Amino acid sequence: MEVSRIRALRGPSLWSRRTAIEAIVTCNECLIGDMPDFEARLRARFPEIGSLKPAGHEESISMAHALEFAALGLQVQAGCPVTFSRTAATTEAEVFQVVVEYSEERVGRLAFELAQTLCRAAVNDTPFDLADALARLRELDEDERLGPSTGAIVQAAVTRGIPFRRMTSGSMVQFGWGSRQRRIQAAETDHTSAISEAIAQDKELTKMLLDAAGVPIPQGRPVSDAEDAWVAACEIGGPVVIKPQDGNQGKGVAVNIETYERVLAAYAASAEVSSEIMVERYIPGYDFRLLVVGNHLVAAARRDPPQVIGDGVHTVRELVEQVNSDPLRGEGHATSLTKIHFDDIALATLAKQGHAADSVPTKGARVMLRNNANLSTGGSATDVTDDVHPELAARAVAAAQMIGLDICGVDVVCDSVHRSLEEQGGAVIEVNAAPGLRMHLAPSFGKGRAVGEAIIASMFAEGENGRIPVVAVSGTNGKTTTVRLISHLLGEKGLRVGMTNSDGVYIQGRRIDTGDCSGPKSARTVLLHPDVDAAVLETARGGVLREGLAFDRCNVAVVTNIGMGDHLGLSYISTVEDLAVVKRVIVENVAPGGVAVLNAADPIVAKMADACPGSVIFFTSDPHHPVMATHHARGLRVVYVNEGSIVAAEGGFEHRIALAQIPLTRNGAIGFQVDNAMAAIAACWALGVDWEIIHAGLASFVSDAATVPGRFNLFDYRGATLIADYGHNPDAIQSLVKAVEHMPAKRRVVVISGAGDRRNEDIRQQTQILGEAFDTVILYQDQCQRGRADGEVLALLQQGLEKATRATAIEEIRGEFLAIDTALARLEPGDLCLILIDEVDAALAHIAKRVAEG
Amino acid sequence: MENKIEFLKIIPLRGPNIWTYRPVLEAWVDIGDLEDSPSNTLPGFYERLSSWLPALIEHRCGIGERGGFLRRVREGTWPGHILEHVTLELQNLAGMQSGFGKARSTSARSVYKVVVRSRHEEVSRACLYAARDLVMAAIEDRPFDIPATVARLRDLADSLCLGPSTACIVDAASDRRIPSIRLTEGNLVQLGYGARSRRIWTAETDQTSAIAESISSDKNLTKNLLQACGVPVPEGRLVDSPEDAWEAAGEIGVPVVVKPRDGNHGRGVSTELMTRAEVEAAYKLALDEGSDVIVERFVRGNEHRLLVVGGRLAAAARGESASVVGDGRSTILELIDTQINTDPRRGTTEDYPLNLVLVDEDPAVRLEITRQGFTPEAIPPLGAEVMIQRNGNVAFDVTDLVHPDVAATVCLAARIVGLDIAGIDLVAEDISRPLDEQQGAIVEVNAGPGLLMHLKPASGEPRPIGQAIVDSLFAEGENGRIPIVGITGTNGTNLVARLVAHLLHLSGKRVGLACSDGLYHNQRRVEKGNRATWAAARKVLLNRVTEAAVFENGSDMILSEGLAYDRCQVGVVTDIDPARHLGRYYIETPDQVFNVLRTQVDVVLTDGVAVLNGNDPMVAGMAPLCDGEVIFFGADPDVPAITDHLAQGKRAVLVRDGFVALATGTEEARLVEVSGIMLASAGAAGLQIENVLAAAGAAWALGLPLELIRAGIETFRD
Repeated sequence: MEVSRIRALRGPSLWSRRTAIEAIVTCNECLIGDMPDFEARLRARFPEIGSLKPAGHEESISMAHALEFAALGLQVQAGCPVTFSRTAATTEAEVFQVVVEYSEERVGRLAFELAQTLCRAAVNDTPFDLADALARLRELDEDERLGPSTGAIVQAAVTRGIPFRRMTSGSMVQFGWGSRQRRIQAAETDHTSAISEAIAQDKELTKMLLDAAGVPIPQGRPVSDAEDAWVAACEIGGPVVIKPQDGNQGKGVAVNIETYERVLAAYAASAEVSSEIMVERYIPGYDFRLLVVGNHLVAAARRDPPQVIGDGVHTVRELVEQVNSDPLRGEGHATSLTKIHFDDIALATLAKQGHAADSVPTKGARVMLRNNANLSTGGSATDVTDDVHPELAARAVAAAQMIGLDICGVDVVCDSVHRSLEEQGGAVIEVNAAPGLRMHLAPSFGKGRAVGEAIIASMFAEGENGRIPVVAVSGTNGKTTTVRLISHLLGEKGLRVGMTNSDGVYIQGRRIDTGDCSGPKSARTVLLHPDVDAAVLETARGGVLREGLAFDRCNVAVVTNIGMGDHLGLSYISTVEDLAVVKRVIVENVAPGGVAVLNAADPIVAKMADACPGSVIFFTSDPHHPVMATHHARGLRVVYVNEGSIVAAEGGFEHRIALAQIPLTRNGAIGFQVDNAMAAIAACWALGVDWEIIHAGLASFVSDAATVPGRFNLFDYRGATLIADYGHNPDAIQSLVKAVEHMPAKRRVVVISGAGDRRNEDIRQQTQILGEAFDTVILYQDQCQRGRADGEVLALLQQGLEKATRATAIEEIRGEFLAIDTALARLEPGDLCLILIDEVDAALAHIAKRVAEG
Repeated sequence: MENKIEFLKIIPLRGPNIWTYRPVLEAWVDIGDLEDSPSNTLPGFYERLSSWLPALIEHRCGIGERGGFLRRVREGTWPGHILEHVTLELQNLAGMQSGFGKARSTSARSVYKVVVRSRHEEVSRACLYAARDLVMAAIEDRPFDIPATVARLRDLADSLCLGPSTACIVDAASDRRIPSIRLTEGNLVQLGYGARSRRIWTAETDQTSAIAESISSDKNLTKNLLQACGVPVPEGRLVDSPEDAWEAAGEIGVPVVVKPRDGNHGRGVSTELMTRAEVEAAYKLALDEGSDVIVERFVRGNEHRLLVVGGRLAAAARGESASVVGDGRSTILELIDTQINTDPRRGTTEDYPLNLVLVDEDPAVRLEITRQGFTPEAIPPLGAEVMIQRNGNVAFDVTDLVHPDVAATVCLAARIVGLDIAGIDLVAEDISRPLDEQQGAIVEVNAGPGLLMHLKPASGEPRPIGQAIVDSLFAEGENGRIPIVGITGTNGTNLVARLVAHLLHLSGKRVGLACSDGLYHNQRRVEKGNRATWAAARKVLLNRVTEAAVFENGSDMILSEGLAYDRCQVGVVTDIDPARHLGRYYIETPDQVFNVLRTQVDVVLTDGVAVLNGNDPMVAGMAPLCDGEVIFFGADPDVPAITDHLAQGKRAVLVRDGFVALATGTEEARLVEVSGIMLASAGAAGLQIENVLAAAGAAWALGLPLELIRAGIETFRD
């Protein structure tokens, strides 16, 4: 068994909407039925692998299937929420594509690796350490996955349909897209003020501000030394708390201190943690944490310090061990409780109660292991949200507002939350930015609270989901022009448009990246950009296969055509039907209220309608095409050509745009541009763009070498007509031939090369078409041989011309510029020359130079 | 005979007071027998004083011309007056500019009130004590160490006063009439009052996002985000060892920069590294400053700092390199001292736009020298140029040169990171050309950027950064103020305060009220007892929920603390019974009582209103002092003050035909029947009806609707 390629599909793919690992698996002795004892050995090593095939099926399955179930099962056993997996045969015998869902990419990859080890161990009858494998997976998963606080917020966002993306390996997450994006980092939002955080860190300043807002606080002040601490204690009168001014997690805090000696000792202990020490009135009561989000109290918990109850038999140490053996208690922040720390602070706390580690408390005796109730040192939390007195809640909200925190953990000490603070002499003792949410999400006692939902609700108003309109465009030909035209029309509407296509990434018309940018990485760039109000994304086959989509769903999916297809033969895509499956992914992931814009004339594209979760607008020139006619008859939306106009129709509604008003189509003469215009009109109709704007945008759209480089760029050269185009597959060439047939010409010349990464028959087919339409054919070999031997592509092109009926002169040239110059030198006024360019920018620059020279 | 100057009492007046609008220190000074020794009788005193503090020549004093004060000293004046001027001069020398001072005798022999403008209480106090010692030394012909005293006071002022960046923002706010309250001994300042207030902390605002700050402090994350949005950055990556650093340099292509991922202020950053040895040495230098180290493309050109405020480019400065030229005799260290550090713009404090180059304290300088094959102790040959600092202080203003594309790019960078105020470090050969033409790049985005380089550039214009920051916080026409009603007088102030608060509450505002029976936030009494105090009023102004504030101000408070607010919308004076105010704070005449209570009228804003008792001639006499409008009130409408006022078409609240009426010129609107007012029938009826009139006047002045004022008066229960 050999695994030749592993990919992480990070978005919706042709297999699933889930994130998944996809691997190419080759197995020589493929059927496990042929391997005696394999399944038994596999089950012995991993009993939880589950059933490998449905009941009632006797036929043997392949090793690839075993690998699939092992990789999924290992993740499931490690606690990952994954369910989807699939193994598909390819066109090659003994080669399979194995797809296994993951929740964390690195965990998925590790599970795949461990699954291979497991299968090999079963084959070779060698040992496999399942416990170790699961432990590694669990540990990695805990490192990788979001912490409980961030996780809860993200989960709430997902429920609201808000897309998210992790910005770091830590807890920083982007919600929404483009100009509607927001960010969080654990329980902080991008509106959480840095100054407010600094204020919350300064306890003295916090107290001053809370006091000004009428929030009860413990009186007190910072002290300069131990003697001053005693003076302050005397000023306050009664028991005091001594603590570091900037401390956290209860380090160096001493409470209920009254005597001179204890004040001095407590000061010394605090001074070890910090140089700035506070003395405050001691407020007796329980510790409560009130969580304020926006202007509301959303959760409250009582926090109890870690403690054990004596049984008259076991020592304190043993009792702590018993408590810590609870599986709910973990080491870090991931579980709802943390283990009680049996450390020096615990021992000191014990000593104050007259206990030692090995003393045996009497039955029923409560022994505290710490004075503070922080969860991180073993405390527990009890939900009291429903009990909070409205006046007490109002004080917590006032505290958060005064400090200026949109998400705020307010620490309160009082006897009961049933009464107001004023009534019982309670106080707010601290205000926390970025509070932990664990105690509210999964309290030790009582019910969990929807705090993630509350945070999301404070960031996104009801009905908002942070999304910007996303238009995905796929197809074999016309994608780039369609993408540009849709972007232009949306820009006309006043939206700041982000666009990706095979030339680059454009933000508001400015190119910020160059090269083929029709993949998910470029799409993510657009969705991340803060100045983007709408995204129009060319979505090419390669990216979908390699990584899946960059978005979970789109508002509009446009599929221009599939035709005879290009790129066949790559990545086990061998037929146009297979290709259609890849291009259909955007249609499958149209949002429920969204629209697929589909070419009715292309039967494969038309059929994609069945896969669309939203509605469909069909387009093609002929209104009588059966698919169109049926759709129209059902009262659904169609776009077609009639009497020199593009018509958008729905039931009795009809809107007409004269082709004469769409310069791109040259009065409708260039058929494929009419198609592109129809697709773009349909997409904008789907997005509810005003017709006036669509009219204006179509009229002002210029398709020349500057705005749409490589898309039917026309030049005049010494009285001859030059057309430069990036067409590089049989369908594109067919369309070009159709377009130039309408243009008068004395002689017709074509310059062409073939890209190496096409199937032989596709390369041959290009020249077969051209040979019927042009008198002179100049072949050249381009830069990009894509794995082909020197001269191999030229030979294929020549083969295509073998039965040519029209082409009489055929010439072979090395180098694109030389080929262009050769063609230009032959031209006479009235001739027409189609140049199929490869290095778009460079070739256009070269042509422009020649044209300028005259 | 004992010569002495004794401080009987020092009162910090923290707000508008009987002397001036600004905080002052008021000292009660007993000069004892010096009362008999005016300055012209003290031999040599004038000469000593004028030579010790030559700038006293600038003090105009009452005479109103240069040298005025010294003339008074020569002709004979008393130590209280001299103390005032010497204190002011010491404050000036300590860097705390202040012009206002007063010295007034009291009814007690040899006791004076000496008043000086105080920008910081503790500094002013120190200056006052130092001034006393100085004056005594001059009187007794003892030596006095002026430079040491000034240095001590200057240090004190530097450590206690707002830093220059914060001060420039506060000054800009003040230019827009936005009040400010310093919240800490540090640079945290509240601009505006209550619900309209905003906060700044040096170059951060309350809108500065904590997440944006953490992004900006992670250089790698910042770079990735910028790069993803098409902002040019130097490509590079994190490295984990000296070997890895060199490998990364190989991938990127030399020259490279090596720097710590989370460092600050250019520490541990080494640039233009070519060789393996340089890269590895730089790795170690960077590692000392942070946990992770980044290697990236060296971007050729000058370092620039572009300051973005509220989405706009506010200032730009360019860094310049510093080098020395060998003379064949001096070491590099000596050349630095003679050729670089002699620049008068260089110094160690914030007052100098450029820093001194100190090789011992700057490892980057040492590395730079070493890179060129020298040691700091080496003697470079005659005419050889040695680079000392590649990008020294970025302090040369280039704001007007920045190409619009560059400005757009740095603003985008700030937006991507999410900062409202950002200092963008950018390297480019020419800031007046687009970045892509010259492979320029943004190398860092800084939260809470320093502003000094733009305020005190080594060359070029200082930029109005403070104004830009204030403008980003307060829209045009906003001044951060909430409606404030201040009430003073002898009788009824508490009732008026509570009734006005009640009316404002009914109008839907959250009202803060500090008065003689407690402190109230939005109807809830949070403190009991007399809270007609500066401290209680200050709490109301700090409270971010306060939408309107009502303050009762007794004369003792004005005399001992000053008002808690700088200006108000409405100032009410109920009445004046001079006898009730005499005898304290050396207030001994009705005129002095008038001067105390007029403070409330002085602070009324130009678009505000003074509500004055037209039946009390002394109160009515305050009308001309008001910068804004005046509304008179009076149960007796037929007094000249009110009739004349109405004759001019102005407003008054009065009683006519048994009704409280709101009168404008000849028009009168009946508000409520006197007999129907619950509290009026309660006790000393005459006085209480005037209080109702005063409150109605204040509410009217605030633009509350008549129906609401009527309902409020009818429902108010004393």
